[in-house]
Amino acid sequence: MAITNLNMFLQDYFKAHHCKTPLNKEGVLSVQLTEEMDRVLMNRPFYWHYIKKIGQQGEPKQLTLITNPDKREINGEWIHFGSPRLQQIINHLKQNEKHTRLFQQMNTSQNTPLYPWLVTNIKISYKGKQKKDELISIGLHLVNGAMKLEMMNLLEPIQLQTTISDYCYTISPIIKLKSGFRRIESVIDNYIENQSHSWAEDSINTLDNEIQMLKHFYVGDTDEEKEQMEKEINEITERFEPRITYEVINGGIFYLTRDF
Amino acid sequence: MMKSIQIVKDTAFIDQLHTVMEKNGQYSSWDLFSMAYQAELTTMTPEFNGLRALEYLPHVDFLEHQVNCAEQVIETMNGRAILADEVGLGKTIEAGLILKEYMIRGLVKKALILVPASLVNQWAKELNEKFYIPAVPHRKNYAWEQGDIIISSIDTAKRSPHRENILDIEYDFILIDEAHKLKNHKTKNYEFVRALKKKYCLLLTATPVQNRLIEIFNLVSILKPGHLGNYDSFLEQYGKDRKKIKQDIYLKQLIQKVMVRNTRQNTDMNNTKRRIETVYIDFTKEEQEVYNEIDSMTEALSTFSKITYLREICSSREACYLSLKKIENNEAKEEIQSLLAKIEQLPHHIKADKVIELIKNIGDEKVIIFTEYRATQLYLQWYLQQHGISSVPFRGGFKRGKKDWMKQLFENHAQVLIATEAGGEGINLQFCSYMINYDLPWNPMRLEQRIGRIHRYGQEKDVHIYNLAIRNTIEEHIMKLLYEKINLFEQVIGHLDDILAELNIPDIESEIKNIFNESSSTGEAKIKLNNLSSIIKYTNDHSVSGEQQYGHN
Repeated sequence: MAITNLNMFLQDYFKAHHCKTPLNKEGVLSVQLTEEMDRVLMNRPFYWHYIKKIGQQGEPKQLTLITNPDKREINGEWIHFGSPRLQQIINHLKQNEKHTRLFQQMNTSQNTPLYPWLVTNIKISYKGKQKKDELISIGLHLVNGAMKLEMMNLLEPIQLQTTISDYCYTISPIIKLKSGFRRIESVIDNYIENQSHSWAEDSINTLDNEIQMLKHFYVGDTDEEKEQMEKEINEITERFEPRITYEVINGGIFYLTRDF
Repeated sequence: MMKSIQIVKDTAFIDQLHTVMEKNGQYSSWDLFSMAYQAELTTMTPEFNGLRALEYLPHVDFLEHQVNCAEQVIETMNGRAILADEVGLGKTIEAGLILKEYMIRGLVKKALILVPASLVNQWAKELNEKFYIPAVPHRKNYAWEQGDIIISSIDTAKRSPHRENILDIEYDFILIDEAHKLKNHKTKNYEFVRALKKKYCLLLTATPVQNRLIEIFNLVSILKPGHLGNYDSFLEQYGKDRKKIKQDIYLKQLIQKVMVRNTRQNTDMNNTKRRIETVYIDFTKEEQEVYNEIDSMTEALSTFSKITYLREICSSREACYLSLKKIENNEAKEEIQSLLAKIEQLPHHIKADKVIELIKNIGDEKVIIFTEYRATQLYLQWYLQQHGISSVPFRGGFKRGKKDWMKQLFENHAQVLIATEAGGEGINLQFCSYMINYDLPWNPMRLEQRIGRIHRYGQEKDVHIYNLAIRNTIEEHIMKLLYEKINLFEQVIGHLDDILAELNIPDIESEIKNIFNESSSTGEAKIKLNNLSSIIKYTNDHSVSGEQQYGHN
């Protein structure tokens, strides 16, 4: 599900934010921003402040984003994974799209129950001498406690919307949100405990070696030297000590049919 | 194993979700929710190794040695290293790449970049434009805690109250450019740098060892105290007898663990060439007479200062006149005053005429002229102007803003930039490909620094270098016996440090001065100088195979 087609991704993003795209051809995408998106992306708070103050509507800008490197000469911004513009858009997404509640769309005339799932996308970061991340998507059935991995992939083919369809009704969760989350966490705990962690071992060895070296370096025993050594031990520890972090990227409640 | 791994969980998310649900607040649509997930999947780093930064910087053409360097520093040196590429191979690029990688991986947020004052703006420009790293130069009244990535000069940073503020901050990343200035552990700068709180640290220098091996010990001790033992044990082992090759090989291996050094020879930077030409000039009859008179004054001038005056008269009347004026009132008053009178009578300096001729032949191209003397600098500026050639001066002592301004004037308006030695470091002038060395420094490393200003990463043309020397003077001896004999321009320069260390010559400049001082005749000095270059040449030809003495291949 990683982004492979940046042009498509941007098109979806602006569509979801109700911006029109007057031109989209050969990797050149023109976007007419809304006021809201102009405020988000164009970094001109004074303009908006001023224009509102004098009681005017204001004119949101147009943006031309070029994903095709061969078209770079065209008037517009070349956008790629390192460009500040994409970073800005990605940060905007990460900050704002954290929570959701969605219903499976049904086209039915029969009464249909929808079951609650807690879905969380959790990034696990392993940091020793180096760092790597892993993203895990887990769903938990809040009635019967069933758990599914790769939840985002399973949801992909389903139509989901923010309102409930006609003739559908929701089943109340039996498992509470917080204890549901704890169950998910303990699955991850388990997953981590069962890994070998040679990276952590490696980091600890390096840490020990460097501290030994450091102790060899300081021969004097003045307070100044001790303080300096203490400072350096802290730095090395901070740099090498193995650490695993869980960070929930986003999540929410999904109401889905019995065998969605 | 698990016990020694610290685990940090996310406690905030579920409470937030709970609150949002209770308030029936803002829910994301499926499209946006899924896009945030995709974005995370795309921007996270799934592997411990490799450079993700390369995908983020598709607009930069990195050279192979620069990518290798960044990888090596991150993966095997764990982010603390000396970057010691020869001048002009792109240390800035390597450092930028490393910083970018750490930022992408979320390992660096707060960084302090300490560079010479004249380079602050250049660094800011490069990091922002090339690497999209939002680095800002430090300005007056700007709080150090506020900015995430700040560039400053070490002289500003170490002064109160900045010093105290900076030392309170825990930096993720510290970079120090021109780090050879930290070679002495007794200086304020060194003490300041040792006191900084840091995780990752890069020291950039083209000349990690200028004179004594203890210098490298001091640099390494900033990164990895104890890596080369402690001060006493190091001095004992390597301080006196550096010729013990066995120990040296071991030392080299240790140093290679914290230092990357690329040379022109082992990189693909060879594509633009250096075209070096020595231009010999004859003094006019009057000038030669003055030169000879100074040379034969044994009573009035000490041998030590005599060399200075001889070098000065080879540069300009003004340079020599001004320093003689200072001793006008000593015992040999009459002799000196008569000399001063003769200097006053001299017509234009023959070298300045040669410079005009060279520039006219070069045509419309930009030219940089280096001289050792400020008086010469002023004189040349005036003299060029008389001949309708526009020039700007450049000195180490200029403030940061003035340096930037001069560089800009040179790039956009003036044809010539006249720099003194101290201005040699800290300006990059890839847009210029002609250099005139109006007078030669006696330390060849300084000449290399000069050439590095134009022959560097980003230079697209061959560079032309003209070295001026006046026949039958001290300049000709130095040129013939030092530079030309050992083929310094083309070959030896990269190894000179190592050779001098092996020969136990701490400072080549004072070595040469001593030769002139201690010789009773020019003939004797020439023989001694000849001997010196012979032994340098010999050592170079017979030095341990493998072109690199230190650093990694």
